Amino acid sequence: MTDTIQYAKRRFEAVKRSIVGDRDEESTLLAGREGNAGVHLQLWFLVTLVVFPIFIAVVVSTKQQGIVTSLPDLIPGTYAVENYREAIVDYGFGRFMWNSLLMSVVVVVGKLVISVLAAVAIVYYRVPYKDLVFLFVLFTLLLPVPIRFVPLFQLINDLGWGNSLLAITVPYLASATTVFILRQHFLSIPTSIVETAKLDGVGPVAFTLRVLIPMSRGVLVGVSIIMFVYAWNQYLWPLVIIDSEANQVAQVGLQLLQGDVQGGQLSWSLVMAGSVLTLLPPLALMILFRKPLLETFAIQQK
Amino acid sequence: MSTREIFDGRLQAALLLVPTVLVSVVFLYYPTARAFRTSFFKAGFGRAEEFVGLENYATLLTNSSYHSSVALSVLFAALVVAGVIVVSLYVTFLIHEVDSGQDWYLISVIWPYALPPAVAALVFLFVLHPTLGVLTGPIEAVGIDLDWFNDGPQAFVVVVLAAIWKQIGYNVIFMIAAMNNVPNALTETAEIDGVGRFRRLVSVYVPIMTPTLFFLVIINTIYAFFGTFAFVDLLTSGGPSNATNILIFDLYREAFSYFNFGVASTKSVVLFLVVAVLMVIQFRLTEEYSYYGA
Repeated sequence: MTDTIQYAKRRFEAVKRSIVGDRDEESTLLAGREGNAGVHLQLWFLVTLVVFPIFIAVVVSTKQQGIVTSLPDLIPGTYAVENYREAIVDYGFGRFMWNSLLMSVVVVVGKLVISVLAAVAIVYYRVPYKDLVFLFVLFTLLLPVPIRFVPLFQLINDLGWGNSLLAITVPYLASATTVFILRQHFLSIPTSIVETAKLDGVGPVAFTLRVLIPMSRGVLVGVSIIMFVYAWNQYLWPLVIIDSEANQVAQVGLQLLQGDVQGGQLSWSLVMAGSVLTLLPPLALMILFRKPLLETFAIQQK
Repeated sequence: MSTREIFDGRLQAALLLVPTVLVSVVFLYYPTARAFRTSFFKAGFGRAEEFVGLENYATLLTNSSYHSSVALSVLFAALVVAGVIVVSLYVTFLIHEVDSGQDWYLISVIWPYALPPAVAALVFLFVLHPTLGVLTGPIEAVGIDLDWFNDGPQAFVVVVLAAIWKQIGYNVIFMIAAMNNVPNALTETAEIDGVGRFRRLVSVYVPIMTPTLFFLVIINTIYAFFGTFAFVDLLTSGGPSNATNILIFDLYREAFSYFNFGVASTKSVVLFLVVAVLMVIQFRLTEEYSYYGA
C-alpha cells in the first residue's frame, strides 16, 4: 500500500517536472541507472571499430614495406621518419599540403568576410527586398558542386583560370550555410544592445567591429572550422580543374600516390603516410575547437 | 518599438550584399543555367555545339545502363542512410547513458566528421585489400571469400561501409544535442514505469528527436548521392562491370572520360531534380513536425 502511494508521489513529481521542464536532475538519475559496465563495453567496441582503420594507417605509415596481413604485424615499425620524409619531399606531398592549406585559408577568410557583410546587411539594414536577397542566397543550397561542375569547368576555362588558385577558391566564396548561421546568430543578440549602439550614434563599421564581432567570436570560430573542413576535403572539383602536379591539392595528391602503388613503384606505407598527413589538419582543428564547433552546429539546425 | 534594423543606407546595404550575390550569380546560378541549356545540345571539347532538342533526354530514358545506375544509386543511398542513422543513433544512445567518460567517448566517435573522403577510401582499400588487407585474413577465416576487385556485390558493400564510416561523426554531433534536449523528467517517468533502456530509446527519445532525424535523413541522402564520389573513384572506379557506378560517378565519366558535355549536362539536370525534390521534402517535413522541437 505504502509502495503504491510512494509510486504515485514520485510519478506526480516526475510529471510535474516534465511540465515545468526541470533539467537539473543528472546526478540522481545516473545513480539510478544500472548496467554501466555493459554500456562501457559496447562503447569500447564501437569506438574501436570507428578508430581501427586510422590506427592501421598510422601503424603502416611507420613500416618499411607496409605489408600488414595479420594482426601480429600491427607492431609499429621504425621507418616513420624515413617514410614521412620520402612522402613529403620525394613524392611532393609537402607541395600538395601547401596548396591545400592555401586553398582552405583563402576560402575560409574570403567566405567569412563576404558572409559577415551580407549577414549584416540582411539583419541590421532597413531596406526593401532584403528578404528576397536572403532567399536568393539560400536557394544556392540546391546547387552543390556535383550538379554544376561540368559547366563550371567550361566557365573557368573560358575565364582563363584553369589550373590556378583562383579556380579552386573563388567559386566557393558564396556560402548559403555561413550566411544562414551568421544571420541566426545575429538575430539572437538582444535588441537592447543594438539600440544602445544606435543611441550612442555608432556607425555600421564601428558597430560591426566593436559590437558584433566581439559578441560573435564563438560562432565565427565555429563556422571557420566548418568551412575549413569543407574546403580541405574537396576532391571532385580540384581533380577536374587542376591538371598540373605543382598546383594539385592533397586529396588528389593521394590519388597520384595510389597510382604509383598500382604501378609497383611505391609501397603502401607511403600512401598511408600521405593519408595520415591529409587527415591531420582538419582533425587537429576539430579537436582543438570542438566546443565552438558543436555550438555552431546547434545554431545551424534551428 | 524595438528593432534590429538600425541602419537604412540603401547604397551601403547593396554594397555589403554585392560580393555574395555576385559570386552566387556567376559561379552558382549561371553554370546551372548553362547546364540546362547544354542539355539540349550535342557538345564536347573543340566541337561546335549542335542543337538536338530533347534527344539527350530521350537517350537517358531509353538507356538501360543509365537506368541501372539510377537504381544502383537509390539502393546505395537507402543502405547508406539506414546504416548511418541506425549506427549513429545507437552510439549516441550509449554515450547518453554512460556514467563516465562521456566527453572522451564523444570525441572518439565524432572525429570522422573531419575525415576526408579520399583518406577514408584509401584506408578502406588497404584494410580490406583482397591480398594485403589486415582484415582479409580474419574475414576469410569466417568463410567469406574476399574478392571485391572482381565481385560486384562485394565491391558495392565495401563502398557502402566506407561511406557509412565517414558519416557517423556528423550524425552523432546532431543526435547527441537532440537527445540531451529530452527533458530528464521524461526519462525518469519512463524509468519509474519500468520501461527498459532499449524501449526508452525507441518509444521516448526517437519520437521526440523526429525533427532532427528527418533533417539527418535528408542530409545523409544528399551526402550519399553527391558526397561519395571520392569513395567510388578511389575504391572501385565504378566497377567491377559497373557494379558501383552510381550517378555522380557516371556523370563524371560521361563528361571527363567520354567528353559528351551535352549528355553530361542532361545528367546534371537529373541530379538537380533529385536535390530539389529532397529539399522540398525536408521543407515540408520540417513545417509539419516543427512543434516537437519548439
